Amino acid sequence: MPVVGLVLALLWLAVPLAPVLVWAGAERWSYPDLLPGAWGVVGWRDAAAAGLQLALLRSLALGLAVAAVATPLGVMTGRVLGWRLTGRPRLVVALLLVPLVLPPFAVAMGLDVVLIRVGLPELVSVVLLLSVVAIPYTAYTSATAFARTSPELEVQARALGATPRQARLRVVLPAVRGSILVAALLAFLVGWSDYVVTLLVGGGQLVTAPVLLGAAASGSGNDAAVASMALATLVPPVALVTVAALRIRGSRSTAPPDRPSESVPEQERMHR
Amino acid sequence: MTSRRVSGAAPGIVAITVVAGTGMAAVVATSVGLMPLYGEPAPSLDGWRSAAPDLVAGIGESLLIAVPATVLAALVGFLLATLMLGGGRAASVVRLACLAVLAVPHLVGATSVSLLLGDGGAAARLAAPAGVDDWPALVGGPWPVATVLELAWKESAFVALVVLAAVAPGHRMRMQVAAGLGARPVQRVLRVLLPTAAPAVGAASLVTLVYAIGSYEVAWLLGRAVPEPLPVLAFRLFGSIELTDRPAAAAAAVTGSVLALCIAVPALATLPRLRALSTGGAP
Repeated sequence: MPVVGLVLALLWLAVPLAPVLVWAGAERWSYPDLLPGAWGVVGWRDAAAAGLQLALLRSLALGLAVAAVATPLGVMTGRVLGWRLTGRPRLVVALLLVPLVLPPFAVAMGLDVVLIRVGLPELVSVVLLLSVVAIPYTAYTSATAFARTSPELEVQARALGATPRQARLRVVLPAVRGSILVAALLAFLVGWSDYVVTLLVGGGQLVTAPVLLGAAASGSGNDAAVASMALATLVPPVALVTVAALRIRGSRSTAPPDRPSESVPEQERMHR
Repeated sequence: MTSRRVSGAAPGIVAITVVAGTGMAAVVATSVGLMPLYGEPAPSLDGWRSAAPDLVAGIGESLLIAVPATVLAALVGFLLATLMLGGGRAASVVRLACLAVLAVPHLVGATSVSLLLGDGGAAARLAAPAGVDDWPALVGGPWPVATVLELAWKESAFVALVVLAAVAPGHRMRMQVAAGLGARPVQRVLRVLLPTAAPAVGAASLVTLVYAIGSYEVAWLLGRAVPEPLPVLAFRLFGSIELTDRPAAAAAAVTGSVLALCIAVPALATLPRLRALSTGGAP
């Protein structure tokens, strides 16, 4: 790779985040100084006073809840798609595209009116809606993993006396464990990162880290506190993704090559 | 056994159908007065009428943001993927950086871009010693420059990873064969790499375009006050203290959804033709 290309690529990817990193450690930064005149943690103190810790905990809980709902639903759908167990794969794929195509704010806006009438708690509504947004990601990730894994595994486990449940939990799931973790991570990111659905359906009662950041960024004028909130919201997902990427890379370098999907016996597939 | 296997897809699909279907049906009903927050339903197009001028401007603003952001993301994403296809440690570093950017919430990206490109931001500080005293209004100015750049920045990482995943298997072999057949480097890019990457670039660009049309927080934080893109318009009207603004908010939400569908459905029909480019055969 040419050095110029590498430098330009890293500049494009990293520079937009640089102001947050610098401002989060700035105590005083007058214009037009290139660097802060004084470094400190005043931004973090202000962010903490605004409720950053609780907001982060709420985001964590929301991310985990969305992952807990969307991952099993996505894995079930991914298994059917990956092993071609449905006679209408195009319909399943088309329905999975719906949450990606329809703007989440539009669905949330309509659902908010319904949920007010039904009386469903805001937290449940937010988790439900974000889980639906996350299902396409978990389903496609799982489908890819199942397509690489032969359904013979499950058949052989059954032939050796395992119940259907045992065959799935003890044989099939461990074989696609890595991809399921990636699917769960994607669902977690949907819950952690969301702003508009949480604000709309949550009615401002569910103050997650992005909701707190949005309120501060739009009007506080305290750049150090805003940057601290942004950095605190940024680090957990980036760290999770980085660790997952490094672990997957490490496991791929030691694991045997994946089975090609062509190894799936014809009788195990359903016709399109 | 087969029927039980097939039913495995059902819970996820049912959840999507029920939630998205109910949400869209309710927002359409709200826009025509059939689901008022209080009072009796009364069919009316008042919401659409009152929002009409803003809807037209909102469609224009949404496209003014989404189209350039998508084109820029596709271009940069393709270049990033090309760099990563070279392999080696540097490619791993760029790939990891793309993954990290992908994990950044858009709101965090928008916050940082406002500190970068806004008045008194990092870019203005860097430009000041060069005599640039009048920093252009890139945030909240007459053109949605910061909004476009933020969306393009984050989505370029997405495009790059999608293209990399689609093109990397067999890439080296294809390039070697093309070189063996006498193709020059430019010909290899234009006649081998580009057609191979076209379906992935097309699919990722479509996702980016549809996402950008429905994206709220970036345009809300970095965009100008007037005209508002459809999500910002819908959200503002939805939060209005005037309950009569609810149907207008729903009309803006329906318009945004229809706009996304009008782009996505024909584009999805075109994607198999793009795929045929990479295989050289029928879709």
